[in-house]
Amino acid sequence: MEEKKQCKGCGGALPFVIGFVAAVIAGWVLFPDMIYSKKTQPVRFSHKIHAEQGLECSGCHVFREDGSYAGIPTNEKCMECHADVVGSDPAEKIYVEQYAQKGKEVPWLIYQYQPDNVIFSHKAHEALECTSCHPDMAKNDTPPVYFQNRLSGYSKQTMKMWQCERCHAENGVSNACHVCHK
Amino acid sequence: MGLDRRAFVKFVAGGVAGTLFTPVIWKGLDDAAIWSQNWGWIPRVPKGEVKSAPALSKLCPSGCAVKVKTVEGQPFAALGNKDNPMSKGGICPVCAGAVQLMYSPARVKSPMKKVAEGKLQAISWEDAEALLVEKLTALKGQEGKVAAICGDSTGSTAEVLSALVAGLGSSAFSVMPDEAYVASQGVKLMGGSGQPGFDIEGADLVLMIGADALDSWGPSVANQKAFAAARPVGADATAAYVYAGPAANNTSAVCDKFLAVPPTATATFALGLANALIAAGAVSSASDFAEYKALAAKVTPEVFEKETGLKADVLKDLVAKFKAAKAPLVVAGASFGQGAGARDFVAAASLNVLLGRVGQKGGMTLLPAAPKAIASAIAPAKDAASYLAEVATGKAAPGALIVYEANPAYALPQAADMAKALGNIAFKVSLATYMDETASLCDLVLPAAHSFERFDDAMNPYGVAKPTYLAGKPVVKKPVVDAKNPADVLLGAAGKLGLSLGVETGEDLVKAKAKAVGADIAALTGGGAWQGEAKGGALTLGAAALAKAPAAKADDKALALAPIAKLAIGTATLATPPANLLTIRDTELSGKDLFVQMNAATAKKAGVAEGDRVKLAAGSGEMKARVHVNEGVAAGTVAVLLGFGRSAWDEFTKGKGDNVYKILTVSDEAGTGLKVWAGSTVTVAKI
Repeated sequence: MEEKKQCKGCGGALPFVIGFVAAVIAGWVLFPDMIYSKKTQPVRFSHKIHAEQGLECSGCHVFREDGSYAGIPTNEKCMECHADVVGSDPAEKIYVEQYAQKGKEVPWLIYQYQPDNVIFSHKAHEALECTSCHPDMAKNDTPPVYFQNRLSGYSKQTMKMWQCERCHAENGVSNACHVCHK
Repeated sequence: MGLDRRAFVKFVAGGVAGTLFTPVIWKGLDDAAIWSQNWGWIPRVPKGEVKSAPALSKLCPSGCAVKVKTVEGQPFAALGNKDNPMSKGGICPVCAGAVQLMYSPARVKSPMKKVAEGKLQAISWEDAEALLVEKLTALKGQEGKVAAICGDSTGSTAEVLSALVAGLGSSAFSVMPDEAYVASQGVKLMGGSGQPGFDIEGADLVLMIGADALDSWGPSVANQKAFAAARPVGADATAAYVYAGPAANNTSAVCDKFLAVPPTATATFALGLANALIAAGAVSSASDFAEYKALAAKVTPEVFEKETGLKADVLKDLVAKFKAAKAPLVVAGASFGQGAGARDFVAAASLNVLLGRVGQKGGMTLLPAAPKAIASAIAPAKDAASYLAEVATGKAAPGALIVYEANPAYALPQAADMAKALGNIAFKVSLATYMDETASLCDLVLPAAHSFERFDDAMNPYGVAKPTYLAGKPVVKKPVVDAKNPADVLLGAAGKLGLSLGVETGEDLVKAKAKAVGADIAALTGGGAWQGEAKGGALTLGAAALAKAPAAKADDKALALAPIAKLAIGTATLATPPANLLTIRDTELSGKDLFVQMNAATAKKAGVAEGDRVKLAAGSGEMKARVHVNEGVAAGTVAVLLGFGRSAWDEFTKGKGDNVYKILTVSDEAGTGLKVWAGSTVTVAKI
């Protein structure tokens, strides 16, 4: 019994090492996949095709007259070209038949969706390159997978407050609460 | 090597240690910090283009021209419309919450049919409209069998309702009592015709007798703008304002002078002032001046002091003010917008005649009859209180009653009796935006679209100096509940009953009205207003009517009852908007206790003190409240706020305080035949 209690060394440090390595692998390999659910956009929108047609980013992603940013265009803009099916891409057919002709806006998933308590002004950040914060979409043929955090509900690409604060600090911009939280 | 306990513990310890070198804990903590931000039940702020659309909000009695701010087409705020000549950018406290009220939990969400006592069940519009037509068809062609009560005194939908009743062979069309009705009767007694108006903007002395013109009376936003223009910041005032009413209120708070006049002594106050003015040299070319002078002379300073509780010196001060003024105006009204007799109106309005201020800039005007949109529309036979009194006694026996935007079960004097009278009617249908006390009693409830969901209009809101017409179109593509424009419902029913009223839809109705008026509908729905010219017209001093109608006299043991209206607390057709609950003071409502207010001398006379629980009784009605001593209340008067004691509506208003309408007693005014209740008296007993 005495010998059993001493466990004959119990494998030394090996179980600890195994546990350590397994946790590290799980934490770096499995966890990032588990914490996010994967979603695809309701319509496979190709930025590449539109860029090839000669469209500029600012042709669809516009500032309104009051300086607010329109973000993703609505049917009103898309239907300037796609009131009816004009190409052979099945994704366009889905858009036209299921959304445009039914007067229903596409529930696009916003990769950089910010909380309601944050007022982010694109106008104030106009001098920056879009790709400073957003992925370069011009060559993208299929919208990237949308990763939604299972715990917080936010997109994986949603910018966290520390990122805003760091950039503000680096550029000498105030980090006072009211700058972003009106 | 087997996995024994110790090895397992080592494994777990290794796992925990390893986890510290991964993002699991740190990422988990970071996400947990914002975990609560996206819970499903938290309302989301729509993100999209913010626009502003002109609209007409008819939640307040006179209607406010507003701009509705929308995001992605969804309204989220109502603001004043600077382009509108009536509101000039202002907005009343009710319409300021108009958007929130569009999403109110108290809205009638779909047509409902009574399936058992106190139980309503949702039905389809198709079934509801078929039921309405079936019931009306059975009563077609029988005088008095189809009746209607209308709570919208300015909209053209009232014309549709009256024409429908008339088309079915009945004349039982009545309106909820308001000042416009009584004032028009008063003008008749003064030998004139039409709705009176008051040019507050053009006056340099405004004496408001009973009329709470800067809050709950008339076009209050326009009145406030006129007041503000005459009282510029940093410059001399160009007009003086005096309020004579039963209790200090939002109007008296900004006036140059407040005179606390018991509601039972309104006419006495006016005649006392007339006597003083005549003594100071005022004369009139009116044919009945001599008779009027003799009547006014009976209100000697002693009588004036006894009945009003004021010192006669206030008359000297007022006379001096009138003599100094170039454009004085007397605004005649009841302290809570209804129930005053023609005597009170005539007594106050006669001062304008005495001073030669009728038809003058800054004076009293008369509005010509508004052109009709529906040729077969009829005028109301009487007010709803008088009509339901006949129903209660069996003198009137309608088989069906259509109630449109009105709440007679709550907002009529002797409210409990009125609700009982409604029980005598076999089929009652309410076209209501909110599930109010009357809709709860009805056999069929048809949800009415909110102002921002329908075409609607407002012709000559009471008190405007010039003929005025406003119109609005829907801001939203479809109502947020399964509601319809009541005009569409009534016109649809008329069509199925074989009646042609000349228009097919609510939109056509407003267009027809605009055409009849001579207004540009596009300009109106774009936020503008049409204004015509008032007519002058010679009026008498109404001496014959004043002589016939004796002044109401308070019982020595009773106190004069002064119901007090505050627009922020709601109206006869609207319970307190949730956003306005914070404007109610602790001395007005505490928990579920309503406070009635009286001055210290009155409280002593009644044997009550601050905070006492009391029962107020009059006729067959009674209400419970607590006492707040307030020196701003007239002598011998108990002031009670309107708008409480709701038994329907929503969690924000239901069951709070008590309803003063229960203890307002109706009496017949001698000489005019009008039902009056503005001079009601009550007994107050400690409980």
